[in-house]
Amino acid sequence: MASEIRKIFRARRLLAAGAGVHFLLIFVVSCRETSWLVSQGLTILPSSFKSAGARIEKISSAALGSGLAKANPLRQAVAAYIHVAGTEGGYGFFAPNVPDSCTLLFEIHNADDSVEYALSPVQTAAADLRVAGLLDKLGRSEYDPLREGLIKMLARSVWQAHPHAKSIRAVFGSVRLPSISEFEAGKKPSFEFLSAYDFSLKADAAKSEAQ
Amino acid sequence: MITKQRLRDGFRKFWFPIESDRWLTTLRVGLGFQAILYAWSLRTDWNYLFTDRGGVISPRVSEAILSAQTSWVPRLSWLVAAGQAVGFNEEKVLFFSWILLLVAGGGLIFGTFCRAAAITAWFIHLCAAKSGGLMSYGVDNFMTIGLFYLSLAPLPDQSSLDRQWRRKFAAASQDRQLLGFWRRVLQVHLCFIYFFGGLTKSLGNGWWDGTNLWRSLIRPPFNIVSPETLLAWKFFFPIGGILILLLETGYPFFIWPKRTRHVWLLSICGMHVAIGLTMGMYLFSLVMIILNVAAFAPQFVSVPWLRRARAAIA
Repeated sequence: MASEIRKIFRARRLLAAGAGVHFLLIFVVSCRETSWLVSQGLTILPSSFKSAGARIEKISSAALGSGLAKANPLRQAVAAYIHVAGTEGGYGFFAPNVPDSCTLLFEIHNADDSVEYALSPVQTAAADLRVAGLLDKLGRSEYDPLREGLIKMLARSVWQAHPHAKSIRAVFGSVRLPSISEFEAGKKPSFEFLSAYDFSLKADAAKSEAQ
Repeated sequence: MITKQRLRDGFRKFWFPIESDRWLTTLRVGLGFQAILYAWSLRTDWNYLFTDRGGVISPRVSEAILSAQTSWVPRLSWLVAAGQAVGFNEEKVLFFSWILLLVAGGGLIFGTFCRAAAITAWFIHLCAAKSGGLMSYGVDNFMTIGLFYLSLAPLPDQSSLDRQWRRKFAAASQDRQLLGFWRRVLQVHLCFIYFFGGLTKSLGNGWWDGTNLWRSLIRPPFNIVSPETLLAWKFFFPIGGILILLLETGYPFFIWPKRTRHVWLLSICGMHVAIGLTMGMYLFSLVMIILNVAAFAPQFVSVPWLRRARAAIA
């Protein structure tokens, strides 16, 4: 009986320790995300907070094993755990501010010289939300080859729905949202051109004309 | 010495309170519906979103980004490789995984093979969320969190069919302290979520003057309500923005005291209902409401057939 109780207590202690590590990881990930925003000067805090934010971000990233070699099992395990537990990204949705949204317009040039326009390659509203999220990520990406490669994939999927297309022009831009007073004054959300990519069936390579 | 003992007792009382399994029933049934609605909402786009051959975005891109962090996280390419080893092509594996997610959701709702259903739902959803990482958003995070806890929690609960049908479970008694522990973990996690969500929002000026509330409602693809209609509510935006900050940041402080718990919970659930209705994020809102109700007010959920099942078991 006594050994049974001891076993239960040991199991409880292990669970409590596991919960401690779990919440420590959640706290560190959340701190990393928040301090990154501060270090980038995206918050209302004075710029003197930037260096402190950068320091906290560095410390929290190190706590998550970013200083270890990529193949290090501890780093791999920590990263895997926060992914499988759904805690890898922090919880700053629409924070600190709501950014403009990005959009992608496909101009489809058919073999008979007619032109069609398409916005999204998906059919359901749920998938549309996902594509919108992808476009926002593309808008934030500073690595143009990745953006171009992904837009090329999107264009290819549009192509499948329009097999008679001769070429497709993908126009990527952001939607500038008016403030309440601007809207009252008659200003509507406006499209701001960021870049365009031409894809033709013959030359699979993409030509881009960045702004 | 006495203080040390008190601390230890306090710690034990907080982390291992004696609980019924009502919260677990709420979480199980709620996440079962969530898994089914998630799969159903993507029914025509599932293969198109996750195929490596001519889909929207090749899952290889998201998986490569994930592999830069860790190669240990499950992904759809693992399932596809396993399927191909036994002669199934990618299309069949993807379709089968979609069906499996629906079946697991059904298993969770009725409580049949609860543990296997919870792990299957968590695994398939995780694979889809990670292979479509570039296209994932909040709902994926919160579904992973919920299903992760559900997979680890002491299933099956009293209202599940497993308890009625399977002898080994019908006879087994429940560890009510363990039930209390897992509920506490979910509660504390929600406190982290809202506190940091509120904190990061409060660092943006747009939440203090209502600008962000306006922008989030007119921002495509969330612009369900026309801006002209929203204009009639323009005086509410600054108050609404500050209310959101207060609700989220104050969550860990006001959700625990009995006096404020119900007001806070109702307000938070109201906020999620509003997000669902005005921004079209139904799945996101649903999963947040499920997690909140399971964690802090499972007694509010009274499903007649569950009550009957419970009475029959008793």
